[in-house]
Amino acid sequence: MQKNNVVMSEAERKSFLLNKIYKILPIISVVLLILLWFIAAGAENSNFPSPQEVFLRFITLQQKPIKEFNLFQHIWISLIRVFIALIVSWIIGIAFGILIGWNKKANALFSPVFTAFRSVPPLAWVPLMTMWFGTGEFPKILLVFMGALMPVVVNTQSGIANVAKMYLDVGTIFNANGKQLLIEIAIPSSLDAIFAGIRTSTSAAWMVVLAAEMLGGRSGIGFLIVRGMNSGDYALCLLSMVCIGIVGALLAIMTKYLERLVCPWTIIK
Amino acid sequence: MDNNKIKLKLENISQSYITKDNVFTAVSGVSLEVYDREFLVILGPGRCGKSVLLNMIAGIEKPVDGSIFLDGEKINGSDERIGMVFQKLALMPWKTVIENIEFGLKLKGMNKKTRRETTQKYIELVGLEGFEKSYPNQLSGGMKQRVGIARAYTNSPEILLMDEPFGQLDAQTRYAMQDEVLRVWDAEKRTVIFVTNNLEEALYLADRIILLSKCPAHVKESYDINLPRPRNTTDSDFLHLRKLISDNTDLAL
Amino acid sequence: MSNSYKNEKMTDTERISFVKNTKRKDDYLIIMISIIGVLGFLIIWQLAVVFGLLPSRYVPMPTEVIKLFAVKLVDPNPEGAVLGVHILASLQIVLTGFLLAIVVGVPLGLVMGWYKGFDSFMRPIFEILRPIPPVAWIPLTILWIGIGLKAKAFIVFFSAFVPCVINAYAGIKQTNPVLINVAKTCGASNFTTFYKIGIPSALTMTFAGVKVALGNAWATLVAAEMLASSAGLGFMILQGRQFARADIIILGIVVIGVIGIIFASILGYVENRMLGWKK
Repeated sequence: MQKNNVVMSEAERKSFLLNKIYKILPIISVVLLILLWFIAAGAENSNFPSPQEVFLRFITLQQKPIKEFNLFQHIWISLIRVFIALIVSWIIGIAFGILIGWNKKANALFSPVFTAFRSVPPLAWVPLMTMWFGTGEFPKILLVFMGALMPVVVNTQSGIANVAKMYLDVGTIFNANGKQLLIEIAIPSSLDAIFAGIRTSTSAAWMVVLAAEMLGGRSGIGFLIVRGMNSGDYALCLLSMVCIGIVGALLAIMTKYLERLVCPWTIIK
Repeated sequence: MDNNKIKLKLENISQSYITKDNVFTAVSGVSLEVYDREFLVILGPGRCGKSVLLNMIAGIEKPVDGSIFLDGEKINGSDERIGMVFQKLALMPWKTVIENIEFGLKLKGMNKKTRRETTQKYIELVGLEGFEKSYPNQLSGGMKQRVGIARAYTNSPEILLMDEPFGQLDAQTRYAMQDEVLRVWDAEKRTVIFVTNNLEEALYLADRIILLSKCPAHVKESYDINLPRPRNTTDSDFLHLRKLISDNTDLAL
Repeated sequence: MSNSYKNEKMTDTERISFVKNTKRKDDYLIIMISIIGVLGFLIIWQLAVVFGLLPSRYVPMPTEVIKLFAVKLVDPNPEGAVLGVHILASLQIVLTGFLLAIVVGVPLGLVMGWYKGFDSFMRPIFEILRPIPPVAWIPLTILWIGIGLKAKAFIVFFSAFVPCVINAYAGIKQTNPVLINVAKTCGASNFTTFYKIGIPSALTMTFAGVKVALGNAWATLVAAEMLASSAGLGFMILQGRQFARADIIILGIVVIGVIGIIFASILGYVENRMLGWKK
């Protein structure tokens, strides 16, 4: 059997070549980006930190903590706030969403006020919260909770209200009562919508916690980045941004795995 | 085969829908009787009243006029004694095969052990052993339909409604499933009301065929099919009946 | 199509009006419940402050907020600008950033979704930038460009830019391949297919992205104004905090919310006009 005597047609050869180019392009663009970074940092009047400076800043931050915490501890503090707020928002949000999705009258009663609250960006609440509750942990977690609650409720409500009639018919034929229709059919069939809400709420929570920390606080990675801004510490800013991006991406991945765990039927095929 | 005992009786059933400013009548004045343990096929041109009729018997829709009697008593809405196999399957994707099949029993509050025993019997009856823990999206079309049949049977209904259950299947699977249905019916005799728009399928399966007109649907004719089973689709008697019914069928375009 | 039977209880026209009346009654009930919901909320709020359940120093009554609205229309105290000025300042920035984001982001997303080479090149850059929330860009932007219109517009642009690209990309990717093949058999070039089939197919998702983008833009603007600004609604709220005037804060929040709802309604209307054929 001869191995390498594959004869390809003109079209096949072209597409083979193209595919190879497509594989290389991402690498080229990342390399260009890094080069751009070096250039921006090395330019004459630029204050932009070079990669080495950022890395160095990372080291010094570990050695000389800001406000008693090093980088990882700040990140951890932010994450804890996010987790607490998220879990509470999921519990309350899903329950509330089910209520107004399933019961038309409850929807009519609560929806208008809820939509009004929803139209206000979470950050707009910050001054009010700090006025009422100070700058401790509670107002921050409350703010994150508010930001995360909205998508969960909206998506859950939409999922429950739009359950395929076909499945409800099956329940009717088997003489299911209202409660059974809700628990056995409506909720499981809405799980994909509920998880869409969970995913959105996670990214929203990460954003709000940062903003809340930026606008008043002494810990957390949002605080770090504002510290950098206020002391002209570019490197700290950029370092924090990189960390924020990484953690944000990790959170998104984690929620995806959570969904696969709870809904195994979505991955098969 | 015929017990001559009337199991289900429809009296002057009508159904119409309101769209914008018009009334669309799908079914008007349908009266028919279904005998105990017969395999009744309701045949009619596409898109007209057949599924609506089944929906009303099953209790998913309420007729605008007329009454339905089961064993002599009037029924209103869904009844446990009537089970249904859907054309679009309606298998719940978040439940495994065995969870789908035992759904009716679970709603009734049966405990898990008894449920599983009963369901197992029907899983074996339709030939799906080994697939209990699979999810519907892992199954082929024919297998999914078998789950639907097992689900309806497991609830021990006295009447089984089948709404064009093989409409979505390819021809080969369809022929195989027709034999399957007859086999299962033979093993556990129930009253079956089977809806289809396919004349060969109707002649292959039925003890009796009720021919519906096109919209608004009413009963055109009832044909007793006395051919021996298994039916031979090229038999001269078969073909004679086929022409007879085909000539009488309205076209729906 | 009206048949009359001996047993028919109502004639067809009677049935139509019966069903319509029942529907009207149901709709009426729903609207009444909604109104009760909103009024109930406001009344409970008002009474809670009046009876001291909520501290009146920190929680203004709804009536006070309304009064303040009228006052702020002409009174520049205490933060230095009339309400109209704040609103205008905020709107200016948000609309600039938002429109720019659409103009740059949507075509970018469409081209990325269609031309694989471009996609392979831009993808990594995009994926790196995406997880970083727009708020996180604020400090760096301020250090770099300083506090001012340009900085805020850039941040707003960035927050609106991402959903535009993502949705345009996803929208054009799910173009029905059958339609593409139809175009090919008619002899269309790649660009023509992109223009006449890809883009229209992508419109629904793109529009969804535009809606998200506007919401993001508005939210980010408020944040940006709070961190670095001398006018605008976000700034007004912050000043309300400085002067311990809860009523100014709540007025600001209400105005922000109302504008948000107006934006959403306008977009919804435009969507119905443009994509009405889909329904």
